[in-house]
Amino acid sequence: MLRSKSIKGRLIATVVVSQALLAAGLLFAGVFYTRRRLVSTLDAGLQARAMSVAALVRYTEDASGNVYFDDSLMPRSLDPDHPDFFAVWTERSGLLTRSSNWPAGLEIPAGPDLHWDLTWAHVTYRVWRISHVPVLDREEGQSFRPQDLTIVYAAPLIQVHEQVRAAGVFIALASLALLGATFLLALYGIRRGLLPLQRLAKQAALVSAHNWELRLPTDAEETTELRPLTQSMITMLARLERSFVQQREFLGNAAHELKTPVAVLKSTLQSLLHRPRSSEEYRAGVQESLEDLGRLERLLQWMLRLARAEQWAHGALRRDIELIDITETCEEAVERIRSLAQSRHTRIHLATNGKVLFRADPEDLQLVWQNLLENAVRYSPEGGVVEVAVTGTDGGPARIIFEDHGVGIPADELPHVFERFYRGDPSRTRATGGFGLGLAIAKALVEAYGGTITAENAPSQGTRMTVELPLNGSN
Amino acid sequence: MRVLIVEDEPRLAENIARSLRESAGYAVDVAADGQEGWFLAESNTYDVVLLDLMLPQMDGMQLLTRIRQAGQLTPVLVLTARDEKESVVALLNAGADDYLTKPFDLGELLARTKALIRRGKGQPSPVLVIGDLQLNTVNRTVQRSGRTIMLTAMEYRVLEYLAHRPGAVVSKTELLEHLYDYNWEKFSNVIEVYISGLRRKLDNGSDQQLIHTVRGQGYILQD
Repeated sequence: MLRSKSIKGRLIATVVVSQALLAAGLLFAGVFYTRRRLVSTLDAGLQARAMSVAALVRYTEDASGNVYFDDSLMPRSLDPDHPDFFAVWTERSGLLTRSSNWPAGLEIPAGPDLHWDLTWAHVTYRVWRISHVPVLDREEGQSFRPQDLTIVYAAPLIQVHEQVRAAGVFIALASLALLGATFLLALYGIRRGLLPLQRLAKQAALVSAHNWELRLPTDAEETTELRPLTQSMITMLARLERSFVQQREFLGNAAHELKTPVAVLKSTLQSLLHRPRSSEEYRAGVQESLEDLGRLERLLQWMLRLARAEQWAHGALRRDIELIDITETCEEAVERIRSLAQSRHTRIHLATNGKVLFRADPEDLQLVWQNLLENAVRYSPEGGVVEVAVTGTDGGPARIIFEDHGVGIPADELPHVFERFYRGDPSRTRATGGFGLGLAIAKALVEAYGGTITAENAPSQGTRMTVELPLNGSN
Repeated sequence: MRVLIVEDEPRLAENIARSLRESAGYAVDVAADGQEGWFLAESNTYDVVLLDLMLPQMDGMQLLTRIRQAGQLTPVLVLTARDEKESVVALLNAGADDYLTKPFDLGELLARTKALIRRGKGQPSPVLVIGDLQLNTVNRTVQRSGRTIMLTAMEYRVLEYLAHRPGAVVSKTELLEHLYDYNWEKFSNVIEVYISGLRRKLDNGSDQQLIHTVRGQGYILQD
């Protein structure tokens, strides 16, 4: 089964994911920054407290220059549960003093000033070591060299950690609330944004074979993203309607063309039976009926031919294709049409310049030429000339031109001459004898070979039909 | 009765015309295109028009519209190859009285034509009764007081026309117009011959005269 994909779902997911990423980034940056600020504040405090410890180191009253630590003035720790610890070393005698809670076994490496974190009894401490601190106490008339001190001072990081956690929780909760609000807003906005699409779908559902009009909702028309869709819907509907109407017209025309000879046949036979007739009358009636049947048969043949040609043009049928000479098929078609031409005293003049080779079924091409010739002969004046010219140039298409010197075709009818059942003036008169299918068949066949067929009025007088077949095609 | 057929398929028109002449004794004119149809419909009076839809020059629909615009009351029966609802509705709304789709049955065409003529003249029944005279338009028989009267084809046609309009004065010209087709030479004195023949046959053995002469105007068929 196909998983259905929702634009709304995707958009909301995108919004929520990007918002969540943003919130996570904010949380990380906030926590990181807060921790840095707090630690640097703590550092400053640690240094100040280390200095205050240094201030408690005093010289003895004698002039020996020895020092002692006056812990009576030691300030109390900020956090009584996890008190600070410290140690002071003198230059001369090493360790001077150590706070009572100095971790057992903690060795302080020698070296320059530095600070580090240290975990002892599950509590993390921040430790600072500051060297070369001068003893602040001064004696008057002091003759000995003043001593330098090294101080190590540590304070717990618990409070810093707690504050950082509190800031993190606050940022996370605020982000979550914002995320929720964004989700609702996105849901609303997207739902509103997709509304034109729903309206468009509702209108599109109203289109049917009986109602081709698509009423575009104004908001769908105004939405930039929907414009390509609405445009292609409109053009698609127009195309569909056109072919639908054409199909319906064809059906109507075919029905008329088929029903008329049947009506004639039926009425002839019924009228024969109406009352007793002489054998002569019966003979004439049967003769007439046979003629009507013949006409019906011919019409059916033409319609089948058209159907086959069109089917083939749509690639439904494949047939025997061989390399043939277009000029030769033209000559044969002229031969086949000769008796019709002679009955109308029309001459056919064929101009050729050698072989023009083309891959096709010769029957198809002959049928095309025959139809075009028949048309030209029919619309030629009595005793006129029909001119046929075959040219095949290297690289270009083969061009076959049929020209008569009849009355020509009114300009407004030219685009319709290849339509099925179209017959000159709307008279549909049977005087010219055709069914109005010949040119439609010719067009379908020519297009099946990738060619084109056009009708125009000849510069002098009459009609010119031009067929172009692609010689270098891959047919 | 006189019928106009407008049909471009000559063989079909010919078959219909022959059937109408032979089986109903109607005078029939045939037009092969819309223009000719309009010319005939405009310059003659027909009792019914049979109209094909697809016609050269002017199509059936246009001709129908024109006939109705000209105020002609003649019933029109349309012959069409299309039997979709929309086209039938459009036809009837344009003023057609009835339609038949091709290929049709000649018998049905004949019956519908007769029915249209009857209704066009305000006669609902196919058996026309004037006093003790009975005229059956289906099998074309005439009876007076139960006695069958044999008439010639032309006498029957005159009587049938008069019987469709009982009590109305019908002029000789009107009779000529409705009994002969376009190609016939029209002489008004032949009407007098048929009328006198009719009178002789109808009034034989009856003291009640049915066909009355209105001097200078025409004839009335009434009790």
